[in-house]
Amino acid sequence: MNHFFVFLKKELLEYARTYKLLILLTVFIIFGITNPLIAKLTPDLLANFMPEGMTVTIPEPTALDSWAQFFKNTQQMGLIVLLLVFSGVLANEISKGTLINLLTKGLSRQAVIAAKYGAMLLVWSVSVGISALLTCIYTVYLFPGDPVSHLIFAVFCMWLFGAFLLAVLLAASALAKGNYGGLLLTGCIVVVLFSLNIIPGAAKYNPIALAARNMELAAGAAEPPALYPAAGITVLAVLALLGLALAVFRKKEL
Amino acid sequence: MNILEISDLHMSFGSNQVLRGLNMAVPEHAIYGFVGRNGAGKTTTMKIVLGLLKAQSGSVTVCGEKVSYGSARTNRHIGYLPDVPEFYGYMRPREYLKLCGEITGLPAAEIKSRSAELLELVGLAGVNRRISGFSRGMKQRLGIAQALLNKPRLLICDEPTSALDPIGRRQVLEILSAIRGQTTVVFSTHILSDVERICDHIAVLEQGRLALAGTLSEIQKQHRRNSFRIRFAAEEEGRAFSQLAELDRPGIELELEGRELQIVSGDDSIGGQELIDLLSAQQIAPEKFEAMEPTLEDLFTEVVK
Repeated sequence: MNHFFVFLKKELLEYARTYKLLILLTVFIIFGITNPLIAKLTPDLLANFMPEGMTVTIPEPTALDSWAQFFKNTQQMGLIVLLLVFSGVLANEISKGTLINLLTKGLSRQAVIAAKYGAMLLVWSVSVGISALLTCIYTVYLFPGDPVSHLIFAVFCMWLFGAFLLAVLLAASALAKGNYGGLLLTGCIVVVLFSLNIIPGAAKYNPIALAARNMELAAGAAEPPALYPAAGITVLAVLALLGLALAVFRKKEL
Repeated sequence: MNILEISDLHMSFGSNQVLRGLNMAVPEHAIYGFVGRNGAGKTTTMKIVLGLLKAQSGSVTVCGEKVSYGSARTNRHIGYLPDVPEFYGYMRPREYLKLCGEITGLPAAEIKSRSAELLELVGLAGVNRRISGFSRGMKQRLGIAQALLNKPRLLICDEPTSALDPIGRRQVLEILSAIRGQTTVVFSTHILSDVERICDHIAVLEQGRLALAGTLSEIQKQHRRNSFRIRFAAEEEGRAFSQLAELDRPGIELELEGRELQIVSGDDSIGGQELIDLLSAQQIAPEKFEAMEPTLEDLFTEVVK
């Protein structure tokens, strides 16, 4: 346990000093501030850009539009930035040989995997948490009184999907060689998951649902139990992926 | 007592058989020069000792404990300095040593005092910038400091001087010499002058086995051949002497270069006294008469040729 905390501290120092933390926090803070603003200003912007004489009825924006921006930005740009920042999380250390000194001092490989995942998860949690909190504050300010359903669960689903992607990235980084091999493998796995939705009934269990049905939850069109199977499968997949990452890393000759 | 014992170690990479039944014993407090050509298997051997590589067969014990692949248990006795130590460039030397100390399980106060002591030893006491700005020599010296942090009984250095300039090399060798008697050092290299300078025990790895092992004086004794060098006052004198019938015997090799004649007698065909008598009989007073010891380079060349 001691090794886990020592290495976790080292990982967090690395994120702080190599600007990874700054990049992620900046991106997610910008999202948090701009989500409600974009929702509020979009109708006015559209009206300004319309040709003269054309009348289009744009519905009055609501809190749901603000949260739609949050989920869209997080799912698209947010997760991409997250994966780019953490690409090569393990492969980089293996190829550079920075772990050799520490492993020969007794650092367990289990602690390396656990701390790397723990640090990424912590940064992701803080980033998405701040973004959600800022979105929430501005949404309440700009759209007071608008109802939003199951918001916490909808954000939790997005967080869980991010946690799943980080586990995929870590396992892929243990399997693939080089900095971007893991990123490429992660991309391939996401494409496969999207493809699985073609199979009837698979969508219900697919982790992709956690990042795709958030607005249904927020709008009250879906109830949380509808996403329980996907959430359960995702938690199991995270554990399996961490196990895989450890098994592969244990066999790596350094 | 032997601090490191390797017996019948076999290891191959694909079809390349690197170690073919390596046997090796390192006595405590020795500075053990582990010599071999590039690719001879020195790094492979060290990584097996550290549990970073899995041998196909054979066994390794450190301080009497068996080394297992993937386990770091025996590494508590070992300090390791890789050939090109890699650090986290965003850290400062003290921060890196603190990380190493925490992993080793040293108490905070000991980490602090030991770090200060070691940074002083390696000449980095006043350096507080990030490691990314360090030269190769500074990284190598920091590598020694991290390797010695837990007061290891065995320090394994993998070619610590091969990538350094002469000043960096001298500094590293001085540091290793300074810990003589406190820690056993296994020092792999192909720079023979470094071995001659600081090592008291030598092993030459060739064809996956030890071709030579022992103290330098023992090895020289074992491989001593009657070898002499005579410098004559004039070239003609040397030529005339080399053509003497007494030297035209099987087992005697003569090599005349200018005024210098080298005489090697592999099977004691001729001794120093006999040569002096011959010179005297010919009324030759040489400028120099030297009985030569085989150098490590001679021995190495002989073993690997």
